[in-house]
Amino acid sequence: MAMELQPPDGRKRVKVYELRDNDWFDRGTGFCTGQVLDEIPRIFVESEDEPNRVLLETKILKDDGYQKQQGFCPTASAQLVSPTMKYVLTDLYHAIRDLDCMDGAERHGYGAELPRGRRMRGDLVRRFALPTLLRGPRNWATSPEIEQIVRAASMTQPGRDALSKFIIRDEYIGKLVPLVTMAEDLESLIDLHRLCNIMKSLILLNDNTIIETVVADQIILGVVGALEYDPEFPALKANHRQYLADQSRYKEVVPIRDPLIRRKIRSTWRLQYLKDVVLARILDDPTFSVLNSLIFFNQMEIVNHIQANAPFLRELFSVFDPRNADAKRKDDAVQFLHQCAAIAKNLQAPSRAQLFANFISHGLFAVIAFAVKHPNPAMRTTGIDILVALLDHDPVMMRGYMLKAVNEKKTPLTDTLIDLLHAETDLGVKNQLADAIKILLDPQIPLQDPLGRAGPDYFKLRSSNLLSDAFVQQHFDESSKRIFQPLKQLADRESLDDLTFQEVTLYAHLVDILTFFVRQHLFRTRNSIQSESLAPRVAQLLTAPQKHLKLVALKFFRTLISLQDTFYQALMTRNNTFGLILDIVLETMPRDNLLNSACLELFEFIKRENIKPFILHVVEKYREKLEQITYVDTFQSLCIRFEQLQGYEAEADSTLFSQEEASSARRIPLNGQRWQGVKGLDADEERYFEAGDDDDEDEWTTQDDRGSLAVGTPNGSSPLMVKPLVDYPDDDDDEDTMDTTKPDDVANHAQSEPLSVADVEEEAGSNPPSPAQTPPAPERLAEKRRRDDEDEDELVKLAAGPKRRSSTSSNSSAGILNRKKNLSIGSTGSEKSAGNLSGIASAAPKRIAINLGPAKTATTEADKSCTEVSTDGNEKENRDDSQGDEDG
Amino acid sequence: MSDLDRAIEQLRACRLIPESQVRELCYKARELLIEEGNVVSVDAPVTICGDIHGQFHDLMELFRVGGDVPDTNYLFMGDFVDRGFYSLESFLLLLCLKVRYPDRMTLIRGNHESRQITTVYGFYDECIRKYGSANVWRYCCEVFDYLALGAIVLGASSELEPTTSSANDTTQSTMPIDDTELETEVLNSRGEVTMSTYRPRQRSSSDASTDSRNISPPRDISAAPGQLGAPTRSGAPGTGAGGDSNGSAPGSRTGAVLCVHGGLSPLIDSVDKIRLIDRKQEVPHEGAMCDLLWSDPDEIEGWGLSPRGAGFLFGGDIVKQFNHLNGLSLVARAHQLVMEGYKEMFDGGIVTVWSAPNYCYRCGNVAAILELGEDTSSGGTVARSNGEYGRSNGVMGADSLSTVVSPGRRYRVFEAAAQDTRGMPAKKPVADYFL
Repeated sequence: MAMELQPPDGRKRVKVYELRDNDWFDRGTGFCTGQVLDEIPRIFVESEDEPNRVLLETKILKDDGYQKQQGFCPTASAQLVSPTMKYVLTDLYHAIRDLDCMDGAERHGYGAELPRGRRMRGDLVRRFALPTLLRGPRNWATSPEIEQIVRAASMTQPGRDALSKFIIRDEYIGKLVPLVTMAEDLESLIDLHRLCNIMKSLILLNDNTIIETVVADQIILGVVGALEYDPEFPALKANHRQYLADQSRYKEVVPIRDPLIRRKIRSTWRLQYLKDVVLARILDDPTFSVLNSLIFFNQMEIVNHIQANAPFLRELFSVFDPRNADAKRKDDAVQFLHQCAAIAKNLQAPSRAQLFANFISHGLFAVIAFAVKHPNPAMRTTGIDILVALLDHDPVMMRGYMLKAVNEKKTPLTDTLIDLLHAETDLGVKNQLADAIKILLDPQIPLQDPLGRAGPDYFKLRSSNLLSDAFVQQHFDESSKRIFQPLKQLADRESLDDLTFQEVTLYAHLVDILTFFVRQHLFRTRNSIQSESLAPRVAQLLTAPQKHLKLVALKFFRTLISLQDTFYQALMTRNNTFGLILDIVLETMPRDNLLNSACLELFEFIKRENIKPFILHVVEKYREKLEQITYVDTFQSLCIRFEQLQGYEAEADSTLFSQEEASSARRIPLNGQRWQGVKGLDADEERYFEAGDDDDEDEWTTQDDRGSLAVGTPNGSSPLMVKPLVDYPDDDDDEDTMDTTKPDDVANHAQSEPLSVADVEEEAGSNPPSPAQTPPAPERLAEKRRRDDEDEDELVKLAAGPKRRSSTSSNSSAGILNRKKNLSIGSTGSEKSAGNLSGIASAAPKRIAINLGPAKTATTEADKSCTEVSTDGNEKENRDDSQGDEDG
Repeated sequence: MSDLDRAIEQLRACRLIPESQVRELCYKARELLIEEGNVVSVDAPVTICGDIHGQFHDLMELFRVGGDVPDTNYLFMGDFVDRGFYSLESFLLLLCLKVRYPDRMTLIRGNHESRQITTVYGFYDECIRKYGSANVWRYCCEVFDYLALGAIVLGASSELEPTTSSANDTTQSTMPIDDTELETEVLNSRGEVTMSTYRPRQRSSSDASTDSRNISPPRDISAAPGQLGAPTRSGAPGTGAGGDSNGSAPGSRTGAVLCVHGGLSPLIDSVDKIRLIDRKQEVPHEGAMCDLLWSDPDEIEGWGLSPRGAGFLFGGDIVKQFNHLNGLSLVARAHQLVMEGYKEMFDGGIVTVWSAPNYCYRCGNVAAILELGEDTSSGGTVARSNGEYGRSNGVMGADSLSTVVSPGRRYRVFEAAAQDTRGMPAKKPVADYFL
């Protein structure tokens, strides 16, 4: 052990504090030495005023001593305490110098292990430095000590606390600030780098008060000034001061007079700059969240101030008075509102609601109307952004306003938007418009989240919706007519080869919106699809030369298929839709590309879900085409399925109807409507069966979402593989093949075929299929009837509290509906999520999702929506159980 | 100089291109990507890169170390955006290069190429910040939906040309006849070899005359349906003596290399199943497409829960089986930070490649890229499937599966770009403010 620990420049001046009852008492200033007496390292502090008085004498004890200290003395950075007297030097000017020693002590203190050998050198004794930093700029040599002290102190929580306390009490940052310019005057880069490090460390202490101090008017420039000299980039200097000093960046449309709020605005801006620019690289998570919460609270106060400030709002909205000629000011005011809306997004719902309500009552809609018609695309974007913020906030409210306008025979917002969508040339704006229209014209959202709106509010809303339902439908039909007009006009078009770029984009958006509508509320859309005969138009787009347009159209049909709804199935089987899709397959066939994969996925889905009407239709009508496609086995499998179905029907015809019904229900669980045809059940029974159905619903939506892969093929048979000898069937295969393809069926098959074919044709061509024919038909008819009923009374059903079950356990066809609705809540809730797609994906359970349940706690990067998956996973588990029973 | 070249120049200087150009670029890219399969076929030689995460200057360092486009054929395995401060510049540059040199640049999708993730992890904010509206973000997300889900590298050489300490180009010098061949090599950013491993030479190069190694043979598996589950190999293991007498060279047929961002999926047992995904969608929260982008290998058996909340963990047995079944010798993936830049697992059955040095500007890791050489022994021509069907060499001649050897792998390790070659990385501040 070293004997002499005096630093070369003599003793260090220190301040000694004693801890009594959790308070620090100043015992005076003195000079500190470390000595080793009797093999025991000790610290002495002799008083400055009375050289003979010893302020502190303490042994540096080994493990025992330090571990005890830990308990007594939470402020550990400069702790120096004996078990009997607890002293701490928190004063930075008088602080510990020897990091190495500190480090060892800290480890020791936490009882982790004894200091390693090298740490046990004599300098275990702390030496206190008195950096004479403030005595004059020349004495820079001491600066590294501060840097070290600060850094060392930030290593441990107690150290950070102590340091923060000191920094705040002593207004230390204020004292550092002038040093920046001094160092700059001296062109002392080393010192500037040190100052930068110190400043960083102080900010990263993560103390609210410190950070608030940092952004104060008189301090901020000094702080960022120091931070301009980042030692990690020695050759560079940032220009934070220049940026922050630029007063012109702050724009005022209408002056805010409250000085407190003005200050908040300034400091919020600075905080954001610190967060995004100055500290972006070095921010740790805690500091990041401290910054964010400071910003949040500031913004909250600012917004509250604004919305409560009626004169201000009046003045603000009067800017848009048509008599006002100042266009620039109007633009600025739009920007201002946009920023308010953007900030409001982060606020809690009540204050956001209040803000928007106030804005609206002062005439926000007029502003939006002004902005969306602005000649400058950027302003249009801004205007729609405001609108989207409103929609995200409360679509019900927005629709309410819209319908009110219709009621009052004013031009509703939707019409304006639709016209804009048709005319808009800026693709970005067009995109936004399409999104906004989707939300506005989605009349089922209000029904979706009664739970979220529990309370009197909910009933109010519901009743208003009940009243307006027919009206909503009417409006929806009219709007649809309007919006899909260009699509309808496609009928007059002979060739799609000369589509302009703008047209292509427009059609893509329209089909996308239509797909959304169909998925989102399949009943309301029926009318317009039927009356405007939109499906053939979309089918027409399958022949467009633009591949992405084909894809959009394909997506539409893929959505129709997944709905498994008779009406849409009928649509699909007309217009040569499948022929066109097969043409795409044939066209792209040798190549492996996106379009080809999308088509394959569609047929795979039909095959996997065993959607009989489609299998019958496709094979019957396009057998030749199918047979040309041999590079994947999907199409052969379809043909095989077809054969099986034929055989099955022969059997079905010969059996009793009731029996057939029951067995078909078991065989096609994926259709999910097996009980729909059975009438006369009492309520309880019905509910029970409906719940069961719902599980099946889950099954098929799930499979839809799983992409293209049949989970039910654990044996690893690939659909792509040619299976010449052994055909490993997948699950649903089992149900059919095992049950139906008995040898004599196969024998019957040939003769029964023609008859069935005729049936199929009929079913495909006309809407109401005759119940006695193909097995799915009776169910579907009943189901259709039922759905029609539901369409009207679903509001009532949803409203009936006790009867209402969670959306997932309600009856099947409404089950789809409910689920969709929930989904759209999810997707509209997060503005940018991929609308229905992501929504669908997030809510649909899958077999393997069971496992995801426990995993969510440890979620690292996955976003929150994954939690939805896990809840569904449980249902899925149940479902699997029940299915197991069935199978058994 | 075309607009595109100008845009590339501008982006290389880390300056953004105007919104209208971004839009145009994205449309062009879309046209291109729509023609790609879900699994793109790429011929060796190729340089495989992992996550970039908006670290533009490090991307430039990557190009410096790995060679410039189009001289080097690149394959980027996703996660171009988020986290770093230059997601836009990085992604747009890569996209420009893709459009300019479609055959020399392959981009596949990572889990961060998604609307939901980018709104949380920075790309969305960056777009708003740099362009003032979300339009550019929308264009980019549209492109994300078109990105391929994986790539398969064909015709990689089993043996590396030894690197002399300075050169990084593979000259035609022949390795002295020896009974070992260079399997892996690690180079630092100055091109100096820091580590090499050798393995016993297979008897391949000896009879090049009969070398008809079929990297991508026609699919004729229908002739032998039983092969799939249980290979009926007639030769003794290890001898490479398959029962067939077609004269194919026994020995080192280099298997294909599958590249995906995340890893395997329990729903995907063959590469061809990936083909059946309609990939044009937001990355789902589950299902095959999700797993390919989210899963991680782990030291477990079988499948496990992923702590990420999406995708799965999969063990060595899964990798082994998958590789065997598909005739792959290696799965290359990214998705996980590895401090050394690359990490081989499961006897070299899978490798993680990470190309964002000092991740998030603070992780202190190095980055790596993986070079696979071209197999020149078959005259430099490889039956390239090029999107044609028939890529499933996985099930072809199970008798030769036993001799599938992993390709020679050259890792170039590099550190974060030197401080003075870049500005201080920082986000762009908002210009004006009202509140």
